[in-house]
Amino acid sequence: MEELFLKSTLNSRLTSFLFILPYLAAFGLFLLFPIIYGVVISLQDFELLSADHPFVGLQNYIKIFTPGTYENSVFFGGLWTTIQFVIYSVPMLILVGLGLAMLVNALPARVRSWFRTFYFLPYALSASVMAVIWLMMFDTNAGFLNSLLMKLGIASIPWLTGTPWVWIALVMTTLWWTIGFNMIIFVNALNEVPEDFYEAASIDGANAWGKFVSITLPSIRPVMLFVMITSTIASFNIYAQPFLLTRGGPGNTTRVLLMNVLDQAFIRKDVGSASAMAILMALLIMVISVIQFRLTNRKEKV
Amino acid sequence: MSKAKKAGLLLLAVLIALMILLPLVWMISTAFKNDFEALSGRMNFLPKKPTVDNFVQGLNGELMNTPVLRWIVNSLTVGLIGTAIVLLIDSMAAFALARLPDLPLRRILLPMFIASLMIPGVLTFLPMYMEFNSLGLINTYPALILPATAGAFGVFLLYQFFISFPKEIEEAARMDGVNKWTLYSRILMPSAVSIMATLGIFTFMGIYNDFVWPLYATTSPEMRTITAGIAMMATGSYTQSYGKLMAMTTIAALPVVIIFILGQKSFVKAITSAGVK
Repeated sequence: MEELFLKSTLNSRLTSFLFILPYLAAFGLFLLFPIIYGVVISLQDFELLSADHPFVGLQNYIKIFTPGTYENSVFFGGLWTTIQFVIYSVPMLILVGLGLAMLVNALPARVRSWFRTFYFLPYALSASVMAVIWLMMFDTNAGFLNSLLMKLGIASIPWLTGTPWVWIALVMTTLWWTIGFNMIIFVNALNEVPEDFYEAASIDGANAWGKFVSITLPSIRPVMLFVMITSTIASFNIYAQPFLLTRGGPGNTTRVLLMNVLDQAFIRKDVGSASAMAILMALLIMVISVIQFRLTNRKEKV
Repeated sequence: MSKAKKAGLLLLAVLIALMILLPLVWMISTAFKNDFEALSGRMNFLPKKPTVDNFVQGLNGELMNTPVLRWIVNSLTVGLIGTAIVLLIDSMAAFALARLPDLPLRRILLPMFIASLMIPGVLTFLPMYMEFNSLGLINTYPALILPATAGAFGVFLLYQFFISFPKEIEEAARMDGVNKWTLYSRILMPSAVSIMATLGIFTFMGIYNDFVWPLYATTSPEMRTITAGIAMMATGSYTQSYGKLMAMTTIAALPVVIIFILGQKSFVKAITSAGVK
């Protein structure tokens, strides 16, 4: 049959190409072109409502890296806020995700899928729906959480207006919304650890903690790394929670990078400098992905 | 494991499930309360004077000067059309990449598509906005649909499926002189129903749930999607009308929660095949 393909005529190759053409057009128009256009915009003095966009070279980038400029404070301020969120959220996303996965796996098989569904359910919601639900839960006066605290005789907490509560609120909502994803990934990884490993360890007299440290953890290490990286990238892209819950407050405490990039474009109308910021942010995220690729590939060779 | 330990774990699992479901239950409960009761701080799950006013007002367009019904129609339209396009063009592309060795540029295209999976959305957001703006397409359905058709996830997912399709069946078909289109539509597609359902669910939920792009890509109230509309309400004058907000979030959540519960297995499959090989 192979020679059938070798003999392929120009006509046949053209037909083959027609199959990929519609997707290739979408890919070109709405992915490849925007990437190139974004680089061009970042090299221009591009005001949102102006028709004239003079070329300014690296000026937008230079401003971002010049201490004292507005662009500098917005980019690095937002970046620092984002990194703080990554530091607070990622360990929780991994620990709670793994914890839930182990809990679900320890349950009787009959009820397992029920709990998996319950824990995973919030993941189906839109970020805006999720954030608005928590806006109500966290309300200082009428919110569910403070009402509960009042009942218990505890003073109300400024969840969305005081530090460190804002960070706790952002991490809590993020956990509630996305933890199902990590749990599912961990459940699959745990199910792939061969049962004999545990049996062998039992014969050797290992207790539950010993088995966890010497068998479970090493076996799921590649998956752990995967979850770490995807969680880091997701947390880097945080937007809905501070945009709808804290509005970046109190002060600028939770003004994350993505908020600043979009405000720079749509409120300050400086699309050129916003594009430069977006490109720098994307590069940072891609560096994290590349590191992941390197690390996981090395693991597989061992 | 001892019986007591098993019961303890089950109890823990139930408690966590209640904690996770609580905000959703509270959302539904608040949606049936009037503004006064919703803001009273009382912790009653069953509204004292249950009312459907929040839903009626919302759907009739007495909030935000816009029938929320229109937002839902927008979201469903955009989600369904977008999903249909993705299923068609992704399956054709994946078929060509996996089963048509004489496809020109094959060696370049496949790695390019896979590499594009790593590109963060922030890189294309602003230029895409400017692109649609210059085309005069801001505030139209195409602006809400087209950006979702460029993702390579579906191509990659279906490629993996098509590449593992038994060669014998394909060869038998080719012996019978079947052309490429028939091979795609009559032989490979019928076997791909389950993976296509997976991709469909995943794509629909992605388009339906996105709110940042629709928030910027629409400018008039009647073009909003339900998720963008809710974000507008929450940042605008409905900050504390929790009854009304919760009625809208309940409506917005309904389609995806139903799809999610029915198609959970498929959805999980999409997630796991996307990440860990």
